Amino acid sequence: MTDKASDRADILPGTLDLLILKAVSLGEVHGYGVLLRIEQISGGALEIQQGALYPALYRLEHQGLITSAWGRSDNNRRAKYYRLSRAGRRRLGESAADWNRLADAMATVLSATPEQI
Amino acid sequence: MAGLPGSGGFDGFVARVRSLVRGLLRRSDVESEMRDEFRHHIELRTEDLVRGGLTWQEASRRARLEFGHAEMHLERSRASRGLDVFDGLRASWLDVKLGLRMLVKYPGLTLVAVLTLAVGIPVGLAPMHVSHAIEAPLPEDPDNRIRGLRYWDLAAADIETPTEHEYALWRDELQTFAMLGAYRPSAGNIAGDDGRAYPVAGAELTASTFAMLGTPPLLGRTLRPDDEVPGAPAVVVIGHDVWRSRLGADPGIIGRSLLVGASLRTVVGVMPESFRFPHRQQMWVPLVLQPGALPASSPDVRVLGRLADGVSPAEAQAELSAVHARVTALLAEGRDRFQAEVVPFGFSAIGMPRQGLAGLPGFYFFQLLALVLLLVACANVAMLVFARTATRYRELAVRTALGASRARIVSQIFVETAVLAVLSAGVGLFTINWALGRVQAAVLARGMDLPYWLTLEVTGRAMVWALVLAVLSAVVAGVAPALRVTGRRIQRNIQRAQAGRSGIRFGGVTGALVVVDVAISVIVLGFVLMFADRLRDATRTDALVGIPAQEFLAAEVRLPADAQRPVEQTSDGDAFRARLGIVQQRLMQRLADEPRVLSVTVASALPRMDHRARRIAVDGAAASDDDRGEWVRMAVVDVDFFATLERPVLAGRDFEPGDVAGGVPPVIINTVFAERLLDGRNPIGRRLRFVTPGEDSPSPWHEIVGVVGHLGINIVNPEGGPGFYVPAAAGAIHPMQLAIHVGDAPESFAPRLREIVAEVDATAMLGTPVVLSRVYQGDWYLLLAAGGGLVLLIVILVTLAASSLYAMISFSVSERTREIGIRAALGARQRTLVLTILRRSLMQVALGALLGLPLAARIVFEDPFGSGSPPVTALLVALAMAMGIIAVIGLFSCVVPARRALRIRPGDALRAER
Repeated sequence: MTDKASDRADILPGTLDLLILKAVSLGEVHGYGVLLRIEQISGGALEIQQGALYPALYRLEHQGLITSAWGRSDNNRRAKYYRLSRAGRRRLGESAADWNRLADAMATVLSATPEQI
Repeated sequence: MAGLPGSGGFDGFVARVRSLVRGLLRRSDVESEMRDEFRHHIELRTEDLVRGGLTWQEASRRARLEFGHAEMHLERSRASRGLDVFDGLRASWLDVKLGLRMLVKYPGLTLVAVLTLAVGIPVGLAPMHVSHAIEAPLPEDPDNRIRGLRYWDLAAADIETPTEHEYALWRDELQTFAMLGAYRPSAGNIAGDDGRAYPVAGAELTASTFAMLGTPPLLGRTLRPDDEVPGAPAVVVIGHDVWRSRLGADPGIIGRSLLVGASLRTVVGVMPESFRFPHRQQMWVPLVLQPGALPASSPDVRVLGRLADGVSPAEAQAELSAVHARVTALLAEGRDRFQAEVVPFGFSAIGMPRQGLAGLPGFYFFQLLALVLLLVACANVAMLVFARTATRYRELAVRTALGASRARIVSQIFVETAVLAVLSAGVGLFTINWALGRVQAAVLARGMDLPYWLTLEVTGRAMVWALVLAVLSAVVAGVAPALRVTGRRIQRNIQRAQAGRSGIRFGGVTGALVVVDVAISVIVLGFVLMFADRLRDATRTDALVGIPAQEFLAAEVRLPADAQRPVEQTSDGDAFRARLGIVQQRLMQRLADEPRVLSVTVASALPRMDHRARRIAVDGAAASDDDRGEWVRMAVVDVDFFATLERPVLAGRDFEPGDVAGGVPPVIINTVFAERLLDGRNPIGRRLRFVTPGEDSPSPWHEIVGVVGHLGINIVNPEGGPGFYVPAAAGAIHPMQLAIHVGDAPESFAPRLREIVAEVDATAMLGTPVVLSRVYQGDWYLLLAAGGGLVLLIVILVTLAASSLYAMISFSVSERTREIGIRAALGARQRTLVLTILRRSLMQVALGALLGLPLAARIVFEDPFGSGSPPVTALLVALAMAMGIIAVIGLFSCVVPARRALRIRPGDALRAER
């Protein structure tokens, strides 16, 4: 039960938070919208198990990285909208930089040829 | 677990706390919001799928499937908000039932733990409880509005009583009190129906005090303001006990004349049984103020007041301080270094400093000691719970595997321990309540002046505190072991559980605890033994060597306190002394004329009574470093004291009538004084004087004219201790202790003595006459109280030591089941097995005893009660006995677990491995 690996479906462990922060940073959005936005931006490459989104959203809210408010959706239904907090913006910047460094390093390693050694 | 500060800085921390608080306090709101959000999500998804071409029904089904198990997401969402820990902590009724079942399942542990905590919790509670009892309002004052008013002498750091003059000033000035009253305890004889005079404790009381207390009389009326006008008819209100036992419960008592002290008074009221204000009084007369008296010679009174409606004690204190500052100029000299105080009535009645018990030296020490004892008790129970938890290792491992969180298991063990602790608190309180009731009854039966409003019985407040202490104890004794057992290395521990061991070790702390317990027990045992020795001495009747004590009748005579008050213009105590002198001379004369009486003498204390101690300095002796003198016990005696007691003066001369004719009287010292304080040199002709620290002018020197053998000046150790005797003329000794040499059966002279005293002065109060050889019994309860306290302490310590041992050994046995079983199978002898199990514990007991022994021996040989050469062999035997007792207790607490070990059958031990 404490095993959280199943939460993360097909994405790398630890990246869900970063994806959500990024999606929310693009504008106020409700939970389902976060999901759509990630799928849309990644061209459907990243798929998140739907229900698993919420524990992550609440965790980020609990940590003060995103804030939420109840509002009205397009079809005039009550929906909870998330937006990035100042701390969240800072965290997004740091995490994105970390991720980019890691990705660069991985790319460098994976593109290595025998001559380079 | 999310929730720690660190990531996200301060903002993050605030956000976490806010979200946690919201999740805890508005649990259902938070959950319904989550469900709303989930529902909204599924609706949007369904709409998307319908737009993709599915039927509504199909789309809805698919959306739900994609979303997954909503309840599971809800639970994970709670976890991501850090709320799962609290879910686990929510104890259920099942846990309580489980806890109750555990009590039955592990009876040994239950017994030892309940015994330990039933001692520990009341001990931890005691200082606070006594403190509350003294502060509690009078039974007549359920709203707690009555306060005492008095002074605090800043220079002397002592309590001072106000005067009538100051009471009148306060009464006129203070606005924060709705009512002010005054009283003064006094005692006097009441003439009973049988014609005999009975001494009765009473009080002079203002009518306002009666009004303030508001107790309606049983018969007649209470005092009225017109009773206290000078020249008003003399009246008295009597108590229920006196009315019943001395006046035959006469329903027509109102209006009858009664001889109270020296005056005839009309009985105007009888108070109900519950009324005993201010201490345990049984008669009340009007307090007639003397307006003419100068501030300096105004008599003392105790003052109390009822706070006006809506006024807080702090406001009353502020006004009293202001009034005091304003009127200081009108008061007697020296009042400017006083501070006027408003205190709980109990504090003013028994002379407790403003801070209550906390203001007494050593209070915090006792408080700390009590809490340390409770903590030790908790630590012991923690060990037992630890051991029990360890033996349930399999159960816990299985529960963990089935998904129980660590918090859930910890909270279950906590609840089980709390059940144990609450049970113990109940047992402890019940026992204490019963014991206190017994003590109170015994104390009252001995005629001690215990205030009627002081009840130590267990109150609701005490029960609440006991419950708090029980829960705190359960936290210490339950949570700590549970946390340790369910620690992070769960996987490893489970593996060990499969191998038959929990992998838990007792640390050195446990061993140290046993060692310290035993050491302290031995030290206290040293105290108890020495005390028992002294107690035996104190009760020895043959200690009055050379005095035919069984032929003497001893009795106390005192004059009523109101005779001390200034009569007309004669101020201070001269009038009283003159009257006392006449009474003493007449009494001596009348007794000497009795045919049965061989001789009679009087003193401030008779042999074997606890004599008063004074600070003195000896001329020519090496000056003590702080100039504060030495504490030495003394008595003021009649000139013929030694001759009457047939105690010869060993060196020098006896007192002579000329010694008290004027000038500084000489003194006679005892042999111990000569040896100890005068280096054994010839004492005759040397001098001593009284020392009062802080006093500038030294008191005059008294010449030592003689030496006598010991007469018993000390309740404990009657044969030891330096002492001396000062002669005095008639009128200087109050109360008078008479020693009447009657010959055979001196008790039979008591009725005649009563007649003579009544004839000499009807107001004189005669205590119960006893044979001189039994006179020590008067101070006996002091010894019993001190001895009882020590015995209680040792019971507590021994209980703690024994329960520590029990916990350790039973744990060790359950841990070594396999080893013991195999060794038994291989043919090991029982004795060897038992020794293996007990070796470590016995070593600890021995170490503790060895550490405690030197200190205990020191206590016994140093003898804090004063002098005397301790009978060394007897004490060595006693100490050996003490060691024996500790060893027996150690063994006893080992027996149950050891027997359990021996019952282990090899087959079972091995089967348990599977």
